[in-house]
Amino acid sequence: MSFTSDLTIDEVLLVEEAGFEPVELVMGSSYFHLGFETAGWSQSQEIAALSAVMHGARQQAMRGLYEQTVEARADGVVGVRLEVEREEHHAEFTVIGTAVRRRDGRGAAWQDARGWPFTCDLSGEDFWSLVRGGYRPTSLVMGVCVYHVAHRSLGAWLSQMNANVEHVPFTQGLYDARELATERMQYEAQQSGGSGVVGVEVHEGHHGWDSHVIEFLAIGTAVAPITDAAHETHRPPKVVMRLNDR
Amino acid sequence: MANQPPGYPGNPQPRPLMADLPQHARERIERTRGAQGQRFFTSDLSVNEFLLVREIGFEPAGLVMGSSIFHVGYQRGSWSENQELTVLTQAMYQARELAMARMEEEVEALGADGVIGVRLKVNRHAFGEHMVEFLAIGTAIVARENGRAFRMPNGKAFSSDLSGQDFWTLLHSGYRPVSMVMGNCVYHVAHQSLGGWFKTVGQNVEMVNFTQALYDARELAMERLQYEAQMDGAIGVVGTEITESSHGWESHIIEFFAVGTSVLPLQGAPALPKPELVLTVNE
Repeated sequence: MSFTSDLTIDEVLLVEEAGFEPVELVMGSSYFHLGFETAGWSQSQEIAALSAVMHGARQQAMRGLYEQTVEARADGVVGVRLEVEREEHHAEFTVIGTAVRRRDGRGAAWQDARGWPFTCDLSGEDFWSLVRGGYRPTSLVMGVCVYHVAHRSLGAWLSQMNANVEHVPFTQGLYDARELATERMQYEAQQSGGSGVVGVEVHEGHHGWDSHVIEFLAIGTAVAPITDAAHETHRPPKVVMRLNDR
Repeated sequence: MANQPPGYPGNPQPRPLMADLPQHARERIERTRGAQGQRFFTSDLSVNEFLLVREIGFEPAGLVMGSSIFHVGYQRGSWSENQELTVLTQAMYQARELAMARMEEEVEALGADGVIGVRLKVNRHAFGEHMVEFLAIGTAIVARENGRAFRMPNGKAFSSDLSGQDFWTLLHSGYRPVSMVMGNCVYHVAHQSLGGWFKTVGQNVEMVNFTQALYDARELAMERLQYEAQMDGAIGVVGTEITESSHGWESHIIEFFAVGTSVLPLQGAPALPKPELVLTVNE
């Protein structure tokens, strides 16, 4: 059977060794308007509406990816990449990855708790290691928080021009925003039946907004232990010392 | 907050500080701890790090972070003199210390035994010109048994900037991480006098003035790092890195920043397996 994928040769080999076969390249996308008004805002706070839009845009792209995966009768997707391309106040969100199917036909056990195919941003190498380590990915999970930093407080602040001091409101605000994004990601991971998340990254972005508006995006792959007793694991992992110089 | 190493001149002035972890940090950590036996973790470990950490008897407990946004002002250095800019040194040190302390507070709140893979980032945001954000982020881990043995001599959770792979290897070689230690020094390098410039122009000579300044500044940063490690009861420091940056100040002002992980011998360390020959086919 022929397949398309953006996996390297090593990755194909490892995915197959883990009991899967690549099926096809799957993707989803969404197109959103990101404009908004902040004139006169004097408070540091989350812009909840914008958080919802930024999260919704990525969710919608993911939905497209899920649909294509189900259509291809695959069990999950590896190597999912998320891209945002912005033009003026419009942005296109794209997700793309390689759908894989279990060769023994028991792929249903790999669905997440919501009955969806699994998704992950793991490479073929990482996927193999995870599976052989006794875990399976449940879902690519993310959390978003768009935060506005007040303008006015900055003016008052500038009077202390030469002081070396902590700015308490800003610290609190940005710290909180980052935690909020991570907390939301965590919630999504629990919804997907994961017992943890690996490879978390917290990104910051502006998406062409005014510099006082910052998006925090927490993203990672939720994982759960494989309960199938027949599953072959390599425990403990074998240690290899590299003799190659780098 | 850890006590300040000596050599940091002057006393820090009383400053308004954030009193506690922000609300959502507490909330998130409570949710991560979950009900008894129902732990849920988040981590920025890669798959390989995750498996290695588990293999050596630990479980990831959660992603932890701490941050501090500092207004870093300006301190004028004397034009023709090599000197440490003590006010800036202290500000840069305290800001990192605050970020680290908050991250460690999250570690304790999680009930973890330590944190690995700590990264200290310095962010500059477009919304404030002299505003610098110091961010510490890492993964808290908890030992499956006898976690106490891995804590610092003072009973606090250990911290380190080692990756999962390095952590695994360190334990196997008979050591354990104690604390992530750092030292810094902001230095003003003297401008050369016109006479000095005439003397050396067209010649290949050592610029003694500059050599001395940079040498001195680096040594000061290292000395402070070493002192921190000794205060924590460690016997050595691994993976020390010294970086320099001007953080947007004028070009004659440089910060030297040293960071590493202090270590202690580990009783009953697992033995390293015998090396094996493996030929990789990867390019």
